[in-house]
Amino acid sequence: MGQMHSRMKLATLAALAALMALFAPVSAIAQDGAAPAVTAAEAGQVDGAQTAPGAEALPGNIAPANADAAQTEGAYTPMAPTKGKGMPTDPRTGESGAMMKSLTFQDQYSVDGEYALWMHDWILLPVITFISLLVLGLLLYVVVRFNRGTNPVASKTTHNTMIEVVWTIVPVIILVIIAVPSITLLARQYEVPPEDAVTIKATGYQWYWGYTYPDHGEIEVVSNMLSDADAIANGEPAQLAVDNRMVVPAGVPLRIQTTAADVIHAFAVPSLWFKMDAVPGRLNEKILTIKEPGVYYGQCSELCGSRHAYMPIAVEALPPEQFAAWVRAQGGTMPGEEEAVIEAPAAEEAPAEQVAALTAR
Amino acid sequence: MATTAEGFDVHSDHSHDAHDHADHKPGFFARWFMSTNHKDIGTMYLIFAIIAGIIGGAISGIMRVELAEPGIQYLTWWAEFMGGGSDLNTALHMWNVFITAHGLIMVFFMVMPAMIGGFGNWFVPLMIGAPDMAFPRMNNVSFWLTVAGFFSLLFSLFVPGGSGPGAGTGWTVYAPLSTSGSVGPAVDFAIFSLHLAGAGSILGATNFITTIFNMRAPGMTLHKMPLFVWSVLVTAFLLLLALPVLAAAITMLLTDRNFGTTFFDPAGGGDPVLYQHLFWFFGHPEVYIMILPGFGMISQIVATFSRKPVFGYLGMAYAMVAIGVVGFIVWAHHMYTVGLDVNTKMYFTAATMVIAVPTGVKIFSWIATMWGGSVEFKSPMVWALGFIFLFTVGGVTGVVLANGGIDVNLHDTYYVVAHFHYVLSMGAVFSLFAGFYYWFPKMSGRMHSELLSHLHFWTFFIGVNVIFFPQHFLGMQGMPRRYPDYPDAFTFWHEISTYGYYIMAGSMVFFFVNIGYALVAGRKAGANPWGEGATTLEWTLPSPPPYHQFETLPVITDAHDYHDHRPATA
Amino acid sequence: MATTPPVLHDSDTARRNLRVGVLAFMGALAMLGLGYAAVPLYEMFCRVTGFGGTTQVASEAEAAQAATLVTGQTISVRFDGSTASDVPWTFRPTQATDTVTIGQRDIATYIARNESSKPVTGTATFNVTPEQAGKHFNKIQCFCFTEQTLAPGQEVTMPVLYYVDPAVLDDPDMQGVEQITLSYTFHRTSGPDTAAPAGTN
Repeated sequence: MGQMHSRMKLATLAALAALMALFAPVSAIAQDGAAPAVTAAEAGQVDGAQTAPGAEALPGNIAPANADAAQTEGAYTPMAPTKGKGMPTDPRTGESGAMMKSLTFQDQYSVDGEYALWMHDWILLPVITFISLLVLGLLLYVVVRFNRGTNPVASKTTHNTMIEVVWTIVPVIILVIIAVPSITLLARQYEVPPEDAVTIKATGYQWYWGYTYPDHGEIEVVSNMLSDADAIANGEPAQLAVDNRMVVPAGVPLRIQTTAADVIHAFAVPSLWFKMDAVPGRLNEKILTIKEPGVYYGQCSELCGSRHAYMPIAVEALPPEQFAAWVRAQGGTMPGEEEAVIEAPAAEEAPAEQVAALTAR
Repeated sequence: MATTAEGFDVHSDHSHDAHDHADHKPGFFARWFMSTNHKDIGTMYLIFAIIAGIIGGAISGIMRVELAEPGIQYLTWWAEFMGGGSDLNTALHMWNVFITAHGLIMVFFMVMPAMIGGFGNWFVPLMIGAPDMAFPRMNNVSFWLTVAGFFSLLFSLFVPGGSGPGAGTGWTVYAPLSTSGSVGPAVDFAIFSLHLAGAGSILGATNFITTIFNMRAPGMTLHKMPLFVWSVLVTAFLLLLALPVLAAAITMLLTDRNFGTTFFDPAGGGDPVLYQHLFWFFGHPEVYIMILPGFGMISQIVATFSRKPVFGYLGMAYAMVAIGVVGFIVWAHHMYTVGLDVNTKMYFTAATMVIAVPTGVKIFSWIATMWGGSVEFKSPMVWALGFIFLFTVGGVTGVVLANGGIDVNLHDTYYVVAHFHYVLSMGAVFSLFAGFYYWFPKMSGRMHSELLSHLHFWTFFIGVNVIFFPQHFLGMQGMPRRYPDYPDAFTFWHEISTYGYYIMAGSMVFFFVNIGYALVAGRKAGANPWGEGATTLEWTLPSPPPYHQFETLPVITDAHDYHDHRPATA
Repeated sequence: MATTPPVLHDSDTARRNLRVGVLAFMGALAMLGLGYAAVPLYEMFCRVTGFGGTTQVASEAEAAQAATLVTGQTISVRFDGSTASDVPWTFRPTQATDTVTIGQRDIATYIARNESSKPVTGTATFNVTPEQAGKHFNKIQCFCFTEQTLAPGQEVTMPVLYYVDPAVLDDPDMQGVEQITLSYTFHRTSGPDTAAPAGTN
């Protein structure tokens, strides 16, 4: 389990707004019904010539937000998203902090994401703000002090070796200071997943995602965008909500693999600091550890044709035991129960029509 | 021996003498269609760039208006207007066509022709004391190849390209979306357009390199050349080395599309990632091609209006050389999410950050040039000041993006869009306007209105910042680029951004009115309207310069060091 | 003014210009050639260095040599199969993961079945993850070396004979790698086809 890291440095990262959002009533999202201009996306769902097999969006597929308490072992109910968590923040809500939250990164819910956010907020942002203000300040000083009125006779200075050396060396030092956490971050992102990491393969199609779970009885989830109306009815953000989510366990390392069947897509979830291209003919792999249960939304991030904007990603992280329940509900098996799948091709009778099980042989 | 400014001082001196060799102009057709005159070709490039800029800018207007609120508002209408169907897929395809056309037009048909073709052609020969370019006829070929390329691109908008008319691949033309993913001839015409424009630029680069190496006036050593000439020299080398790689890559795309090759097709053993490597091996130098001549212009302008020679001339010149060299070894920072291994990514992170050093040298040297100067805020200078600040802002977000681990979350988001518009739409374009106002009196012989220029500056400055600063927020929040539609939460900042576009578009009225005013009623410009700070050779000639200049070469004597480029008697 | 002839027509300058111009143009042509050369060079680079997770091809002799270095340490190998959207096959590994002894040759099988009513010929691309494992992952025999044609409804077993190079144990980049994924994607190389069914070689 080499991916586990000291979290000491991360202590500074606890964003107050994030915590507030965590404890906000989950049903709050349902009040966010102010989504105008749904016509096109609705039309998109209706004339879905390209939508995947079994992609009929089912309103009511997702339980009302207040019903998630009823979730029990064996009966999977999609989790209601938490407002402000795993999704962009709308500055217009008027809630305190919403405007501020909309100016920066989404709160991070992965281990590497917290480190990256810390690096941005405490190293990069101060440095770039300082440099920009320094240049602005120098320019304003020049404007005030060395304009033709105040300084009618220009000096003829054209060299000052000392200052030229300084403004070469100082940026180098700043860049080295940036490089240290930057290289550290890269090294962390490239930690290899342990052998028993939960493996999910995300395949990009024009224009939907397919998620397969090779260690869980070859479950295959086909994930299409919900129409705006269905998303709002579900209490989910329009154009981010999908009919079938990529369900994963929280708190354990995941091995995310991506590929594509036609053109290049990119699997991206901003609140997990995760983005990886899905390239046809090759498999990419990255580790991902989601810190806590939740619904985390993302969108395809490589131009892939006309419906590029309409193939969102919804990752639902569940506590491991609920994940196991979800797997069984899909007709899959947890690792260690392999015998069952070989003996009985139960996967062929997947209960939900959105779930296609590959024929076992 | 030396030609003095007095010799050409008054425009009317030779204009009344039709047989004066220096001002003998051919007839209209021969002059403008078969032109071999660097100033005429430069003028044509500038007019062409303005027209392309209007079209490219109008397309960005279509996009900003569409993005003002979520949902698809206007694309369906555009799809029908452009001859496609009225279904949603065609409308969405139109979006991809618009982003593609906007990118290609602004890069290949606006910024490059204006910087290199326009100002480069006009002022490189003047600044080095040459009578014309080394290969005047090839210069003409370069221009018309660029025009032909533009028409090929425009033509591609009206032929099938997949879900609708036009090429919807993005300016990067990534395979396999551009090969198996786009059926129809539109992408072929777009690729062909790049071939033509690229060929024109390669010929132009050859011309500039030869001109600068061989045609300098006596005494004008490389280390005495104005920095604008240095910038064009470095740019020409970048063009010469980078564009052929693009040409190779897109030719392979073309054969993959039409002749069954599989350079980038995994089905035949090709690799789509290789296309990205090739594209960005060109693409990264390309962004310096777009900004380096701007650096050169800003150096001239800052020195002129501070009445002070450029601070750290050699450092400035070699900083550009360094940027050009390092620009060739950082390309994969555009590909951080494609599946590179950790060592590769660490290398490209480190190499990319190195570029910040010579760029910083330039920024600080400009400020040091003004320091102790007697700064006059004429129109070119305010644009230059705007450039320095906004380019810094765009530069520092580049430092953020250089970090492979950070870029993972920002790649292909609006943060990247904001970044490269800060360095291009505010860097390159601000330097273009600065250069335009700086040299307009020289080119036209008329003074523009300082009031209108300043109004143009302030409204444009506000407009572009309102457009692009909020896009940083959108990007950090996760808004992907190249999206015609978006989740509701992004609406607020998109709406603000669109208001910024209206301000920017409105500000262009000042620009066009100003040109019209100057051409019709502008005060006549003297040889040097900018005063003692303007020390380069073009200011020794009348405004506009004679049709042929420097028939007797000016001599730059050793008594002058490189801070004063004028001949001894000037 | 203008008493001397314009230097533009100076023949010496013209000759020098031509030389520099030709040199510059040749530079451009060289870069054009380099652009094309990048295709085989990149392929070779990937093959030699394992860049991007490119696997190695090993001879029987090399495999035998590697087998002498077996230390008994094991590594997990995951098998992954994908199809491009125009390949109407089901294609998947018989076994999702396997634990193999480093240095020892092993065999893995994939099952492919043509679900369409037409014969389809496909060819497989492949890579391993993590990328740095590419130069240590050796294939002795593989169905991916040749095109495969499947008749309608035909199902075949496709083997790959491979070993993980013992050098993996000494590679600092491979520290902590517990599992290597070997991935194949089938692409269509031809449309409806009448070629004979491919064997399982």
